[in-house]
Amino acid sequence: MTAPITKAGPGTSSRASRRASGVSVALPGKAVPRLLANVILIVIGLCFLIPLVWMVLASIDPKASYQTQVPQSFTLSNFSAVLTPELAFGPLWNSLLLSLGTAVITVVVAVLAAYPLSRYQARYNKPFMYTVLFGTTLPITAIMVPVYSLFVQFNLLDSLWGVILFMSAAALPIAIWMAKNFMDSVPISLEEAAWVDGASAMKALRVIVVPLMRPGIAVVFIFVFIQAWGNFFVPFILLLSPSKQPAAVSIYAFFGQYGAIAYGQLAAFSILYSVPVIVLYVIISRGVGGSFALAGAVKG
Amino acid sequence: MSRRIPIIASIAVGSMVLLAGCSSGSSPNDNGSSSAPSEQAGPATLKVQYLQSDTFTAMNTLMTSVKTEFESTHKNVTVELQPVTATDTDYDTKLSLSLRSASTAPDVFYEDTFQVKSDIEAGYLLNLDTYLKTWPDWSQFNEGAKAAGQGDDGSIYAISLGTDTRVIWYSIPVMKKANITLPWQPKTWQDILDTAAKIKAAEPGVVPFTMYAGTGTGEGTVMQSFYELLYGTGNGLGLYDASAKKWIVGSQGFIDSLTFLETLYKDGYAVTPAEALDPNVWKTVLGTLMPEAKAGGTVEGSYTPSFWEKGGPFPWPAYTTDVGTALFPTQNGEAPGGVSMSGGWTLAASATTKNPDLAFEFMSLALNHDNALSYAIAASQIAVRTDVAAEPTYLAANPFQKAVTDAVSVTHYRPATSDYPKISSAAQTATESVITGKQTPQEAAAAYDTAVEGIVGADMVTKQ
Amino acid sequence: MTAQPLVKHDAALPTGGPHPHRTAGRLGRALPLVPSVLLLATFLLGPVIWSFYGSFTNSALSGPNAKNPQFIGLKNYVDLMNDPVFPLSLIVTLVFVIVSAIIGQNVLGMSIALLMQRANHVVGSIVGTLVVAAWVLPEIVAAFIAYAYFSNDGTLNQLLALIGVTGPNWLFSFPMVAIILANVWRGTAFSMLVYQAALQDVPTEITEAAMVDGAGGVQRLIYITLPMIKTSISTNLMLITLQTLSVFTLIWVMTKGGPASASSTLPVLAYHEAFQFGDIGYGTAIATIMLVVGAIFATIYVLLLRSEDQVK
Repeated sequence: MTAPITKAGPGTSSRASRRASGVSVALPGKAVPRLLANVILIVIGLCFLIPLVWMVLASIDPKASYQTQVPQSFTLSNFSAVLTPELAFGPLWNSLLLSLGTAVITVVVAVLAAYPLSRYQARYNKPFMYTVLFGTTLPITAIMVPVYSLFVQFNLLDSLWGVILFMSAAALPIAIWMAKNFMDSVPISLEEAAWVDGASAMKALRVIVVPLMRPGIAVVFIFVFIQAWGNFFVPFILLLSPSKQPAAVSIYAFFGQYGAIAYGQLAAFSILYSVPVIVLYVIISRGVGGSFALAGAVKG
Repeated sequence: MSRRIPIIASIAVGSMVLLAGCSSGSSPNDNGSSSAPSEQAGPATLKVQYLQSDTFTAMNTLMTSVKTEFESTHKNVTVELQPVTATDTDYDTKLSLSLRSASTAPDVFYEDTFQVKSDIEAGYLLNLDTYLKTWPDWSQFNEGAKAAGQGDDGSIYAISLGTDTRVIWYSIPVMKKANITLPWQPKTWQDILDTAAKIKAAEPGVVPFTMYAGTGTGEGTVMQSFYELLYGTGNGLGLYDASAKKWIVGSQGFIDSLTFLETLYKDGYAVTPAEALDPNVWKTVLGTLMPEAKAGGTVEGSYTPSFWEKGGPFPWPAYTTDVGTALFPTQNGEAPGGVSMSGGWTLAASATTKNPDLAFEFMSLALNHDNALSYAIAASQIAVRTDVAAEPTYLAANPFQKAVTDAVSVTHYRPATSDYPKISSAAQTATESVITGKQTPQEAAAAYDTAVEGIVGADMVTKQ
Repeated sequence: MTAQPLVKHDAALPTGGPHPHRTAGRLGRALPLVPSVLLLATFLLGPVIWSFYGSFTNSALSGPNAKNPQFIGLKNYVDLMNDPVFPLSLIVTLVFVIVSAIIGQNVLGMSIALLMQRANHVVGSIVGTLVVAAWVLPEIVAAFIAYAYFSNDGTLNQLLALIGVTGPNWLFSFPMVAIILANVWRGTAFSMLVYQAALQDVPTEITEAAMVDGAGGVQRLIYITLPMIKTSISTNLMLITLQTLSVFTLIWVMTKGGPASASSTLPVLAYHEAFQFGDIGYGTAIATIMLVVGAIFATIYVLLLRSEDQVK
């Protein structure tokens, strides 16, 4: 699945999701390097693990600090303290609206765009795909200042729809890439039967292509959803009413004023806020096509 | 591929026009402030935005009660409160971002006095003159308060909620242990350093005397530290020569003020530079160090008792007896013998509000005698209404009310120009460079001079 | 107006598509592209055009320039060149991108992927999961965790104390080290996944044949494996460079760009100038410079893929 980006040039049909899973192939007969490799990997793994341990331990520690420590006593009070409508439920609901809206719009628009790009050989295909490719590399944070000005002009500031449309547009280039490559892997012969039956292109897309590329659509959907769920900067600038802000912004507002803060509650809220994307990631990596599915597709 | 660019560009422009056309009307999903016409026949919504934090709840209390009161007399009006949880700096940013667009500007909002001038010039604030003419309470506001909301055109655009002063707050137990004569009143900067040295020698582990520095504490750095120094040097003009309307650069007082901060941090009298850059260092100083007798003293606002009172963020019952106040001295004891700074916050209405009459009614209700009195007590404000200032409950609100009110006689106000916020930031940067050892006071002062010239232009500065 | 130009360029060849008489013509075929073109043009191309335009004005959040922004030509760019913070910020950005992405994430990601080929499968997948965990977390959560880890009384100094070292206040004394390590921690997963996938494509017969010939491990890596995945390497480098260029939240939460602008990369500087100081025009000029830098990288990337395409 790195194929969409690493291998395929625009206009070429790439073989999407060729690899079913990410099982690594160990080379045989290499006992000593193998031991060494294990040791080095374990050390690296620990380095990545240790910062995460703090979050887990602090969330159940009534006396949490920035130190990583085994709690003297166990409590769930940090979780109950943050589970308020104002702090958690409202913002998490807003996060859900933003992420769901963005993911749905992006998937629908990307699949629509992918159809002509995948099925017809038109002269605009290549330039379009190059433009899209170019778009995948735009540094989004770089344009937040002009985006803000643009939103002021359009009267879109503080509008959930405005933010959803902007985040969809930002996710669209990569989503079109992924969708086109998934669609390329659906054999065209199946549609030919439908055309004979007199179905329109849109009907063929809806009835034949989309059901066949469901796993691919799931990958694009979840990928866009995760990106939108974690986005802080875009809603931070474009959504102003406290009642519209997603969890990323509310967590910053309540706890970002670091200093004499409630570390345990910060950790607890962080966990609550992270669980949905972790679950989705597990679904995507186990259920549909392996974690490689994201590899070629993801843009930070 | 290059051929496509004009095509795509024209599509972009086309769709922008389309989109702008759609949204400039009042579309149904437009969550604008109020969809009702200004004749208050139909139901209307009034959006009210203000600052709230774990350490500042007085405004929320006031607004919540005013909302109830207002809605009971205006049956078809809904007051939508929007408390913004943020630091002062983030609140200022957020407010500016929402004022920029008519569709997001709140109808009534809480605004720092130093932003008022700038927002008047931007055309964001509603001219209140016609309303004030018929508001009997307006005559109760003192001259300073009236000036705080006044534009260059002489009109009033914002109404003061209260003002403040800055004084030294010191720990009596710490001073006693170091054998300092009480009540302590330093006459010069050197007196402060001498006292700090004695505390350091007598009580290791105690922060002798700390003052804010760096950009982390934002306006706090200048209002509660740097300006107390700067306005006590030379001719006392500080940042700006108001008669010549020019910004002051190249002043020895600026260098001396930075040098004082450098000494405070270098000699270990203040908190560590790393702690100073934390925006919440003041919570450590007022919430932990002072109550635990781990700090000798600091410069803070007249509202400080509101943090220590029962129900405040750092309740400390003994503060009434364990804390003393002193005026911050001038550099070498020059007249008038002390320095203080005053600021404060206001209520203002948006120039684009669809219900200006309702907006003013709401403001006048929030600022009437009873509400002003309870807010002044809850937020430890210095009252700007003469009738409130004379109330016995106000005068007895906390034991320091007289001391901080007396500081009004030596107080200064920040230059009321729209360039001020940027210049303040340049001054904060200078303090940060000095306490972190990145620049010497001379270098930092020179960098400040360059920055000021860049902000206002070379013809708007005067060398001293 | 939106669909018209497309007609001209639509020279669709019916190669296996729906039969011509079934379609609503060439225009109809391009119709599904319209929503995406509209979205991209409005919300991506729009801000880009606006960025160039806005950088020539003195537009502001407040003050007289908020009411009547004026066209001031290149003044913002001239001011940027004279602003002592700007060159510092450029250097900080460059160091951040090179050390944390090009060296840190890239080399570490490839090392993990290579080691995984050798290591025990269980070890490999557990370590892979841990590396990915930091990357799947919402950015602001990762930033808070990194802040806790590097703060003065945080976990890193706790670990150093175990071996008898009194750690410095990382966020204050070595802010660049802290944000670089944090970005490596957060972003390595991407490179790891790319290289894992790429290495799967290297047929084991080739490396096995090399072993028979007696090629050493390092030589095999340099002469056989790396050339075979060179497209993945360049693509990965390009993508992580641009991702790292736009990192904002991590730095904002950890250091706010401080102390004294010591960790203020271009996105942080643009935020400061545009939104905190209210100088929209100036902030827009910084954004435009970032766009140009990004566009240069993107062009190299697109050209690279294109040449690859033509080879096939």
